[in-house]
Amino acid sequence: MKVLLVGGAGREHAIALTLARSVHQPRLYCLSEMVNPGIKKLVDSSMGEYFRGDINDPGHVANVAEEVGVDFVFVGPEEPNFHGVPDRLEEKGIPCIGANRAVSELEMSKASMRDLQWKYKIPGRLWYKKFRTYEEAIPYIEEYADSIALKPARQAGGKGVKVIEDFQVYLQEDKRRVKREHAESIVKEYMRGYEDTEYRLLIEERVWGPEYTLHCFTDGRTVLPMPVVQDNKHAFDGDLGMETGGMGSVSCGMNLRYGIDDERSIITEEEYKRSVEIVRMMIEAIQRETDKKYHGVVAGQMMLTSVWGPTVIEMYSRLGDPEAANVLAMLRTDLVEICEAIIGERLNTIKAEFDDRAVVVKAVCPEGYPNKRDLARGHPVRISVDNGTGSILWASADLVDGRVLTGGSRIVECVGTGSSIPEASSVAERLCGAVSLEDGWKVFHRSDIGSEKFMERRIALANMAREIYQYRERKGLLGKRMMWIPGKGLVEVG
Amino acid sequence: MAGILGIYLFDERWDVYNFGVFGLMALQHRGQETVGLEVFGKSRGKIEGEGLVDQVLVNNKTAGHICLGAVSPYPASNGEIQPIRLSENVSLAIDGKILRIDGYQWDPTLSYEGNLRRALEGDSVEEIQEFFSRCRGGFSYIALNGKPEMVAGRGDLGVKPLVLGKMGFEGGIVSSESCVMDIIGERVPISPAENIEPGEVRIFTPLSAHAERLRNCSRRAYCSFEYVYLARPDSYINEIPVYRVRRKIGEVLAEEGRVEADVVIGVPETAVPFAMAYSNSTGIPVEKGFELTGRRVRSAMKPNQIERLKGVQLKLNVISEAVRGKRVVLIDDSVVRGNTLANIVYLMKEKGAKEIHVRIGSPHIVSHCPFGVEVPPEDELIGRHLPEEKIAEVVGADSFRYLSIDGLVEATGLKFDDLCLGCFNGNYPEV
Repeated sequence: MKVLLVGGAGREHAIALTLARSVHQPRLYCLSEMVNPGIKKLVDSSMGEYFRGDINDPGHVANVAEEVGVDFVFVGPEEPNFHGVPDRLEEKGIPCIGANRAVSELEMSKASMRDLQWKYKIPGRLWYKKFRTYEEAIPYIEEYADSIALKPARQAGGKGVKVIEDFQVYLQEDKRRVKREHAESIVKEYMRGYEDTEYRLLIEERVWGPEYTLHCFTDGRTVLPMPVVQDNKHAFDGDLGMETGGMGSVSCGMNLRYGIDDERSIITEEEYKRSVEIVRMMIEAIQRETDKKYHGVVAGQMMLTSVWGPTVIEMYSRLGDPEAANVLAMLRTDLVEICEAIIGERLNTIKAEFDDRAVVVKAVCPEGYPNKRDLARGHPVRISVDNGTGSILWASADLVDGRVLTGGSRIVECVGTGSSIPEASSVAERLCGAVSLEDGWKVFHRSDIGSEKFMERRIALANMAREIYQYRERKGLLGKRMMWIPGKGLVEVG
Repeated sequence: MAGILGIYLFDERWDVYNFGVFGLMALQHRGQETVGLEVFGKSRGKIEGEGLVDQVLVNNKTAGHICLGAVSPYPASNGEIQPIRLSENVSLAIDGKILRIDGYQWDPTLSYEGNLRRALEGDSVEEIQEFFSRCRGGFSYIALNGKPEMVAGRGDLGVKPLVLGKMGFEGGIVSSESCVMDIIGERVPISPAENIEPGEVRIFTPLSAHAERLRNCSRRAYCSFEYVYLARPDSYINEIPVYRVRRKIGEVLAEEGRVEADVVIGVPETAVPFAMAYSNSTGIPVEKGFELTGRRVRSAMKPNQIERLKGVQLKLNVISEAVRGKRVVLIDDSVVRGNTLANIVYLMKEKGAKEIHVRIGSPHIVSHCPFGVEVPPEDELIGRHLPEEKIAEVVGADSFRYLSIDGLVEATGLKFDDLCLGCFNGNYPEV
């Protein structure tokens, strides 16, 4: 059996490892822009081949797949989906795990995702407004918007989102100015080069609560949910600093428990069920809307909010990174068999099993990430422990002439497991300490992720949001927002 | 002492000036004599002067996304207005006092600032960090160099407080007290700020923000006066809510200084929570006894007697209806010389109070503070020289009682050995 993996980041290294442990012993092939040293090793030991090339060019991907004669292709990242790579493969009769162009709209256009969610009245929908131009948004920002999230209307590599809490009127002028300027940079900088969406800028209400990602495998008919994972977006310890693609993620059991034998959890079983139902409804809605089948992974990037309980922040048309490392480390069912079932649309015959172990993933990054990547790029990497077990996943790293150089983003993802999240965290922590750059350029990681204090705070935050949304639910006010606008009367949203 | 503030935002589009102004306003209670705010952006500019924050910081002449500021209770004539320039590139805001520096011979012919300037070598993050790790005393600091990089930390003993707050994805805020985060930071539903541990250093550079533990400092000497008087009741000091301690002090006073009375009155602002808790514990009703004229000031922190009395008399006009014909439990936070208290008792008797039983929410002040809290010379301290019965006679009250030292320790919930009680018992932590 031959499998072509598209993409070369930490997520794809995790996928490659999981495919490699299959009883079907697939021969692994990989196509990506940089040569991931971890995937390269797996490719070589399975007698496959590594191709360096453009993963967003459907023709190129299809050619590689044909040349190799693969049984199926597994698309890791989102951009190939947006570029129609799965569609082209399908045309050529090559089976593919990856959302096609039409259904990946769920992730690609954040505006369409919200439209869909409101049209089909799917719970956990945030109030939003979409704009075609920057000028269109200005009067709106001036007049109404207070605490908001400004987002590029299209998935732009996770960049460009700015959340501004604008509650203190004495600081309003400064905050509105930054909002205006950022709205302008979204349209003019972050969205530059993406001409495939009508809307350019999205403004959403700001909400608070613990975030979590719920991934599901789907063949368009059956939805197989995976354990919930919590990713952490702030660059620095203590949830401080710029937004990144994700600095580390934690999971334990299906609903983010503190430990295997611990009653405490961030998400309750009931909230887990509701979250699964939301993702299922989203899949159904996008399929109805596009008349296309969803073959692959879909994920809800969720938050437990005081307004709705489980709430959709964004949707993924693929596995999250670094969350993939969590769910795949927990997966007990053969991934190759799951893939074959998706391709054959018989996912209903598969029982996806996950173990309860706690998994903590921590990314190690070169200084300069996330905002000054040119400084972060090109540094030779050294790992001072034996990585035979694959618990250090290579991410943005390029194997050039036998040396590994940083690619500007997260260098590696260190995976720790244990009987509780804090225990798994200390394992990951030790691994992080083994990563450095040979030229002395500094690296950083989040030492707080998964610590006891961290877990207690997350649980406390969840409890606080839960108390409020449950109260609203008892009052029949779940998801409803009411405003008294003097002179205009009562305005209800929800 | 002082109130210190550092705001470090990563996105250069922010203009941090107003955040600095309102942040310092939230620290105004820690110093009302001088204000300074230095803003770092494309250039570096400082506004400073004597007076309150809203008197000094009146128009924004600087622009930048990073700032360093301080309010101080010392008149400008006593030294340089903070933040002080330590070297060509390094500015410093400091609360408390550095008493000595390992490996440096203190030069008595130089000013305090002059000695710090001479002792500091270099202006990199590492060098600043190394410098403060050699400093001994009771202090918290925030230093910025020209890059700009920010280094913030507390002396080994943790005498002075320091907390870290956040502003979403935008950056961080370091300040003396957590109330700053409520005013200018992100509203975080669980706790507004993170305590910076003694010996821990927080570093912000354009590319990173992280904590470093210099060494393990297990010995603690948290300033007990923060809980009694210095800090705002809406702050957390060493993760303990100040209001909780003040309420507990009122409860302990109700046990230790129980008396038959008709009404409890707290001297605004600090002693009001003591009075409320005393009332709740004893069942004696609490009333508002005073009305304020003019601006709210911290009268006890005024540098001279006339100013203090002026402050008290304007702040504390007695509402006669609250006290006439009644036996009053009058609660104040502390007694230094006793003159302002005598004034209050006199005014209250004049308005018809039948009996006045003074209860003080702290033990007697008998000694100086080596860490920069202004305490007058020991021969001026009434509590050092007179017993409680005598003080009652001097201030004209029917009875007078301090909170016991054990009572104060109990109210904080901390261990005796983890507190600095030097001003109350003359025993200071070894530095």
